[in-house]
Amino acid sequence: MSRSTVKTEITGKVWKITAEKGQRLAEDEPIVILESMKMEIPVPAPLDCTVVDILVSEGDTVTEGDVIAHIES
Amino acid sequence: MPFDKERADFEARAKRAKAMGSPTRLGERKAAGILNARERVELLVDKGTFIEAGLFATSIKPDVRDKSPGDGVVSGFGKIAGRMAGVNAADFTTLGSSSAEVHGKKQYYVRETCRKNGMPMVSLMECAGGRIPDIMGAAGIGRAGEGARYTHARETPWASAVLGLTYGGGAFTCINSDFVVMRKGAVLAVSSQMVTSVAIAEEMSPEDLGGWRLHSEQTGFVDTVVDTDEDAIAQLKAFLSYLPDNATQAPPVVPTIEPVAAALDTLVPESRAKTYDVRPVIKAILDKDTYFPLKERFAKVAVTALGRIAGKTVGIVASNPMFKGGALDPDGCDKITSFIVLCDSFNIPLIFLADTPGFLVGAESEKRRLPGKIMTFMAALELSTVPKIALVLRKSYGQAYLNMGGGRSDVTASWFSGDISFMDPAVAVNVVYAVKPGEDPARYEQLLKQVSSGTTAYELAAPFMAQMVIDPNDTRRFLTGMLEVLKRPSQHRLADWPPAF
Repeated sequence: MSRSTVKTEITGKVWKITAEKGQRLAEDEPIVILESMKMEIPVPAPLDCTVVDILVSEGDTVTEGDVIAHIES
Repeated sequence: MPFDKERADFEARAKRAKAMGSPTRLGERKAAGILNARERVELLVDKGTFIEAGLFATSIKPDVRDKSPGDGVVSGFGKIAGRMAGVNAADFTTLGSSSAEVHGKKQYYVRETCRKNGMPMVSLMECAGGRIPDIMGAAGIGRAGEGARYTHARETPWASAVLGLTYGGGAFTCINSDFVVMRKGAVLAVSSQMVTSVAIAEEMSPEDLGGWRLHSEQTGFVDTVVDTDEDAIAQLKAFLSYLPDNATQAPPVVPTIEPVAAALDTLVPESRAKTYDVRPVIKAILDKDTYFPLKERFAKVAVTALGRIAGKTVGIVASNPMFKGGALDPDGCDKITSFIVLCDSFNIPLIFLADTPGFLVGAESEKRRLPGKIMTFMAALELSTVPKIALVLRKSYGQAYLNMGGGRSDVTASWFSGDISFMDPAVAVNVVYAVKPGEDPARYEQLLKQVSSGTTAYELAAPFMAQMVIDPNDTRRFLTGMLEVLKRPSQHRLADWPPAF
């Protein structure tokens, strides 16, 4: 098992958190959804993984490259 | 029998040359499930068609002639799915397939023969880098610079596989190629980690220096990643099946298999705020099982894929709302630019599918040179002369509308759901009138209605800026028909475009 981080690829506001700690996700399943460019943009799991921790809350502003979660794969 | 003595000598020499490097190293590869150069060639070409060039070549250095069968590369010509192609397969068991005089001459011979006779070239690469001591000294590096051995003017397709430690010349061959497949565990870099640790005191694993994740996700140098040598060779064959033998020909036409019927209007959400994956839309348009994505792990906001419609090769460029909402970023621009260059060079019509809120604005994009990337993308688009079809799926705003072929294609068309403007109307209300929905809802709604008028597909069709407005479920029929109309060859004005930019 190796631990890695998930970063946002776009600047925006955290609109919804769709995964929770300990949840198993398939590659491309969303962890959080951002509001940006007038769209609801998911931050997806980069690979099949388990969510270790989510570091943002709904309403937070995030910048491209910010770490929003830790995962284990 | 006549020539008994000569034949015995010939057979003994051929056997020695075909044995490649040390049995120990060959055994280690076998145990690790990694094919050797000759096994790779055998898998690549049709049985019994390989004609080898340079079997009896060796190093130019007399003291290593006996240790350098073929000088570390298996070269020649063979048929791939019935079509003749040139092949250079690195033999890493012989002096690490390092770059040296005869080693280079053999590869150059195959390359030039392919160029002059209009055949694809395949490179199966591993390379320890420049051979020391051959390349040392003024004359050493001087010899390496003789002749124009690097330029790829896209006269014939080059397809490469990174199949092991691939440094220096081997890496450069891959970078110059039109398609690169990489096996997991292989490495592509200018120099090995041994050199970097001495030169700049940087310690890292070969994987971190130039592994598959770096090149498939960050540099975009690798088009596709596979687990085994066998899979890599299958990918090379698949890529070449979409390409013509050379730039003067049209790509091969194969029998059509209709896609699995899918109502396209059910694959795209009506709300412009909702994201979705554009790839099922593309697959529903293309002939069954012909979707062949390039650089799929890199700049996911853009999809660039070869495929077929009614048996003919097409190049699909699509923004993918699933990633960054489809807002095109600097890497996305590079990815699309290189794909336009590929398609224009080999007579592959381009189809643009736009669903984009625009280019990805913001400080990070500006730092990463977005304005320059947009204009390089635009230059490639405007210089390309291959047939182009631009289709708006749902929304297409601002400069991104133009870059995705709007108004600068043979046909600009839109689904009836298309929304086309300078920017998203909701953003325009904020920017122009400084009114936010939460502050004055009634005025916001009134202004939104005002700003939103004139953004439908019909408003683009009325002044004939869009030639067609179509039902989404009619997309495949529309494209099939237009590809019969637009059948001119390209003028190849992008053939000399740089390999990386």
